[in-house]
Amino acid sequence: MLPISITAVIARNETWQNFSYTEPYECGWAREAIVYLRALSQPINVDGVQAHIEYSPDGINWVDSGLKFQLPTQVDEIAWIPITHFGNWLRVSADVPKNSSICVLVSLHFKG
Amino acid sequence: METSINKYDSLKRIISFDDFDRGFCGWGQLVGNYEQSLDSMNANYQQHTHPQLSNLSHWDSGSHGSWDGTYALKIQTRPITGSRNVSVKRLTFRKASRIRLEFYFTFKPEATELLLSETDVRSVGFLFDLQDPQESGNRVMPHIRFLNAENGEHVQKWQFKRKAPEVTPVGTDGKTITHDHLASEDWEDLPNGHQKLCYNEIPTKVNWHYLRFDFDLASMHMKEMQCNDRIFDLSQIESMKMPAMRNLWCMLNLALFTETDTNKRSLYYIDSVCLSGDF
Repeated sequence: MLPISITAVIARNETWQNFSYTEPYECGWAREAIVYLRALSQPINVDGVQAHIEYSPDGINWVDSGLKFQLPTQVDEIAWIPITHFGNWLRVSADVPKNSSICVLVSLHFKG
Repeated sequence: METSINKYDSLKRIISFDDFDRGFCGWGQLVGNYEQSLDSMNANYQQHTHPQLSNLSHWDSGSHGSWDGTYALKIQTRPITGSRNVSVKRLTFRKASRIRLEFYFTFKPEATELLLSETDVRSVGFLFDLQDPQESGNRVMPHIRFLNAENGEHVQKWQFKRKAPEVTPVGTDGKTITHDHLASEDWEDLPNGHQKLCYNEIPTKVNWHYLRFDFDLASMHMKEMQCNDRIFDLSQIESMKMPAMRNLWCMLNLALFTETDTNKRSLYYIDSVCLSGDF
């Protein structure tokens, strides 16, 4: 049987302000993932703001994986990061400073 | 494969057999309609997210697994009272025959409290979205849900919905519409529709349930439903109905949905789904 390969859109047209994160996504069946995060409109004051990849033992409690990437600073710009070791749950978070915001489309691309 | 499908009482033709140990099997997220901008999407559709393949792992006891394998389809709401999520599989039919939907399911709230939590999941349910092949025909949408709890009361009854919601335009081109057919209004009780389902004793112990739903595509009427040991006569139960829409001929969509009654995620698990036809 061919391996599974899927795209899961986990945040669509969501505006991130303050501490923001995607819904928990269970993906223990997958061996690798790429996260893409696209700005759907012009981001406001997100220069230097990092998004973080978080792991979880139970889908409820979260830890910082140490993987991070700069949020897009222009409309339609796509930021991305590969992930190769992640247990059973993933989410993407960002601590967006006061007076900053970004409207995101976040997708996870898995192979397993 | 043989063992897996033997737990179903399918009709002659297997239209699809979705064992989620093999992957997503065509089940995806129900995205709302839009035109030009995602902002034009109905707000109740904005909340929908992609289904997941789950091994039913819990913080206190590890992985539960599915009925007879590792993975189940998981449909998960957001942790906001009244939130819902929907997964859909989109087909068309080649024979307007009797069809049978069967699946094994269970539901739990996210185990964020050390409490029984039996009234946290509001509902789990399913629907067909169908359309006649003739231009004079209808779009027909049988909706059934198990109302587990409402405002903290452990209701445990089956409901249906026949009142079609208002259809509203999306965008300005006149080509796209939307209707929130899963809105919380207008659900009606099935006669003798109370049923106590096994929930078990803590939020991380899980028991599976069997469901069968028979529908006739020729007359576009419900026939019968079975959940575990209970059989419900649906021959007098009406479906949501509206004039045929211009791009949906012979549509045969299946959808599974859940709603949460509290600020916890509702988790609706499906071990496998069998759709069969009498042809």
